[in-house]
Amino acid sequence: MVTEITIPKLGLTMEEAKLVKWSFDTGQPVAVKQMVALIETDKVSFEIVAPVKGLVYPLVPAGTTVMVAQIIGYIAADAAELAILQKEHPVDAGVMVEQSKEKPEAKLDKTDTAGSNTGERIIASPLARRMAKEHGLDLAGIPGTGPGGRIVEADIQRALAAPPQTKSVPVREASAVMESDLALTVLEEIPIQGIRKIIFQNMHLSLNTQAQLTLQTEASAKRMQGLRHRMNKRLNPDETKISYNAIIIKAVALALRQHPRINSSVDKEMIKVWKQVHVGVAMDVGKGLIVPKIRNADTKPVMTIAKELDQLVDKAKQNALTLDELQGGTFTITNLGAWGVDHFTPIVNFPESAILGLGRIVEKPWVENSEVVVEPRIALSLTFDHRIIDGAPGAMFLKTLTSMIEEPLLML
Amino acid sequence: MAEDAKDLLGFYRTMVMVRQFETMAAEYFAAGEIPGFIHLSIGQEASSVGVCSCLRPDDYVATTHRGHGHMIAKGADLNKMTAELFGKKTGYCKGKGGSMHIADFSIGILGANGVVAGGLPITAGAGFSIKMRKTDQVAVCFFGDGASNRGPVHEVMNMASVWKLPILFVVENNQWASTTPQTASGSVRDLSIRAAGYNMPGVSVDGNDVLAVRQAAQKAVERARKGDGPTFIENKTYRIRGHFEGDPQKYRTEAEVDEWQKEKDPIDLFSRYLVKHKKSTKKGLEKIWADAAIELDKAVTFAKESPFPEPEEALEDLFVTDFKGGSPS
Amino acid sequence: MKERIISASAALAEALHEEMTRDERIFIIGEDLVSHEGIFGQFKGLPQKFPGRVIDAPISESAIAGVGLGSALTGMRPIVDMHFSDFVTCCMDELCNQAAKIRYMSGGQVTVPMVIWCPDGAGLRAAAQHSQSLEAWFVHTPGLKVVVPSEPADVKGLIKSALRDDDPVMFFQHKQLFARQGHVPEEPYLIPLGQAAVKREGKDVTLLCYGSSYYLCQEAARVLADLKIDAEIVDLRTLKPLDMETVAQSIRKTNRAVIVHEACLTGGYGAELAARIQEELFDYLDAPIKRVAARDVPIPFSPGLEDYCLPKVSDVVAAVQAVTYK
Repeated sequence: MVTEITIPKLGLTMEEAKLVKWSFDTGQPVAVKQMVALIETDKVSFEIVAPVKGLVYPLVPAGTTVMVAQIIGYIAADAAELAILQKEHPVDAGVMVEQSKEKPEAKLDKTDTAGSNTGERIIASPLARRMAKEHGLDLAGIPGTGPGGRIVEADIQRALAAPPQTKSVPVREASAVMESDLALTVLEEIPIQGIRKIIFQNMHLSLNTQAQLTLQTEASAKRMQGLRHRMNKRLNPDETKISYNAIIIKAVALALRQHPRINSSVDKEMIKVWKQVHVGVAMDVGKGLIVPKIRNADTKPVMTIAKELDQLVDKAKQNALTLDELQGGTFTITNLGAWGVDHFTPIVNFPESAILGLGRIVEKPWVENSEVVVEPRIALSLTFDHRIIDGAPGAMFLKTLTSMIEEPLLML
Repeated sequence: MAEDAKDLLGFYRTMVMVRQFETMAAEYFAAGEIPGFIHLSIGQEASSVGVCSCLRPDDYVATTHRGHGHMIAKGADLNKMTAELFGKKTGYCKGKGGSMHIADFSIGILGANGVVAGGLPITAGAGFSIKMRKTDQVAVCFFGDGASNRGPVHEVMNMASVWKLPILFVVENNQWASTTPQTASGSVRDLSIRAAGYNMPGVSVDGNDVLAVRQAAQKAVERARKGDGPTFIENKTYRIRGHFEGDPQKYRTEAEVDEWQKEKDPIDLFSRYLVKHKKSTKKGLEKIWADAAIELDKAVTFAKESPFPEPEEALEDLFVTDFKGGSPS
Repeated sequence: MKERIISASAALAEALHEEMTRDERIFIIGEDLVSHEGIFGQFKGLPQKFPGRVIDAPISESAIAGVGLGSALTGMRPIVDMHFSDFVTCCMDELCNQAAKIRYMSGGQVTVPMVIWCPDGAGLRAAAQHSQSLEAWFVHTPGLKVVVPSEPADVKGLIKSALRDDDPVMFFQHKQLFARQGHVPEEPYLIPLGQAAVKREGKDVTLLCYGSSYYLCQEAARVLADLKIDAEIVDLRTLKPLDMETVAQSIRKTNRAVIVHEACLTGGYGAELAARIQEELFDYLDAPIKRVAARDVPIPFSPGLEDYCLPKVSDVVAAVQAVTYK
């Protein structure tokens, strides 16, 4: 006799769940009380067990959202019943394979074959590669559990086990605790995809991989202010004004030339100290965090940097940045000064090894020659990867940088 | 048994055909039209014709890398032979065998062989099969003085004797095994002595006297057909050309070759015999040469005009069931 | 169908009785066949039933193989019994230069319908020259077919097909498997050459085997089941022509392959098969292909030494664990 496999109601207000995976393929034998499928609500994971022994016949593919009491499959007593089921409830071959409903990745994604920042080769089995390609997954974000960190099928399966949804879903009620006014309700559901997904993965990867610490100091912004003022006065009206960011990018680039170790990345067992200095500038133009690069910042005059930066911001607003402009950075600066932040602990933009956080330029009392003076000062927060940059070298770089900011003529 | 003039001239014609074929092959090989290697039997015509003229079409012959003479003597088609040497599609083996592997199973020729003495085990099989099928066919195996020292020869001789297989072991001792003279490689001078070691009759014959060869072969064929077992015949002859065409022949003197060519050429000897015993005239013999030349020309034309096989044909004829070489299953 | 359990040698004898009755051109030639009815009893009853068709030859492998070949060329369908497969070396010219090539070299003028029957394999303390598995040499010789059955039922069906095949077939039977019993249908049946068999269905790994290693894989599958690894066993049965489709189907399902054979590792059949698999099924592989085989030494005599050299159940299990990352 054919037995139904249905979705149980796990809570007072439960209406639906996600069918995460089947434990058996069509026609495989299952014992009574053996787990046959796994479902997930946003509160809990639940194993559906076989009510009888027999041959499993999944009807609904994994990854589907299912309703309470919905029949997701059957258990046939024998091969004959299985054949009847196959005739009466035909299922596409291959539909049981977990399907990702993710949209193809946006142009900004790092692909696994395009030159990544470090040129690091991603080790994955042929099958894993194919599955990742078929499901639009980025191998770079998937941890590999095989030998030598090889990404294998199981890792892809894991990554697929919780695919994001493609659109916002209207308000749903979570399982009730006791009475409805004590329960949490969702205001909005936002799928983690696109840029958010990249940031999501990158942040995690960065902190998960590196040993990061932040050194904090302050620099006098007096001379930098003065320089900026004088330079901008000499500009024609149509020329791009020089920003603090531009000056600091230049200082950073030159300081990196003096402390090349900060301008590096880890590639497996190797520290790769980069020849070029490409400084990224973190910005949010309303679509999320992006980090366009000023390439070879050490070779460009401040005016050029300022102009390029301006162009990058424009392009960012129009969503017109190219892959080259977004890839291949060796250092990042991030400026939260506009929001009144001083010191903070920025997270390194993986796979770079250091990031400089800039605070606001604020007038503060300072002591000079034993006298209290008022001068503009700026907070500098340098986070770096202590696996390859120790405290002292990091501090030395920060000191060089600070000197250049405090005395821009040192950049000559 | 006295052969009549017609028969004798028939033998002569065949010997001349062999000589002309080999000469043609030497020419075209030197001109670059015959690829690979050829090994010519010029000077050994009496051995091929003497033995094969005693055989029926359904008797078997296994021959050697120097086998054009045996083929022609057994009745092979000149067109197909020539085409095969030229590597053409219309050759006996569709261009797949060449001179060393040429064969015509329809007239009992079990193939030339690239391995010296390679034909002996096959001949043992043919002889065995004759016995199983209870026919009165015989099987002849030609091999050289060099081959006669190989293991399989001795295994097969022993087995043929024990089981009384209807086999003629015909060793063509042409004095040279590639660069090695028989005097340096053989434990005996008269190879027929070895027959006694295997309890079979053995005889050494002037291999350049076609009638002497015939006499010995006839006796052996009769013995075999009766079911009395194998015979070992040594045809003492001489290899006029090098081991292969293009052989610099540093191992022997021109004088030695000249001597055999002038004094002991089998066709010359037989010519003289035929004229002396009034079986033909000099003119008559010349006509035979001329006729043979014409026939051969036709064969050469046929070969030249035939196409080469398509490259993909290389994958055919491997197995009987449809399983081509190179991309199995 | 009622189960009928008989040994592999009984299965062979049964098949030969049937074939020799059906076709009077079949005969068997080899050494020491008549009085013992084959040293493994594999020709039981045949000398009596078919007088003159089971022939004891002198110890002359070249001549024996030659008898096989020459008679195959002239109307007969012989079985050449090699006594021990190791002795093929004494007639390699006849097998590989002649039998394998005559049809091709002659441009298809003839067929060579002979079966070269070779008891092979190790584990009997028979030492280096009586223990080899040489199938790879013949797979590498164009013009020969190569069959290596495992179970008695395979022996019967395959020898019948080999005898009906018009090409030369190298037929290897493991010495230790002659006494092995298995279900063999009573009625005549054929197993075509070039057809593999999935003898155990599974989803986690494909075990590719033939001959004695089939039994090794069955044991390993039991151990693996306890470790919750579900192995699929594909018994190749014929190495040439190979049933690649069955192999591919299995690997497309399991994404992992372990090849097991008793022949030594280097240049063994597994190397050829692994190359083909990675060529044709690259994107289906979640792990490298592993081979389990004997060590690259001549088989030694002393039991401990021999056992060390031969592949074991634990080797198969370890290989499977490696490719399943468990």
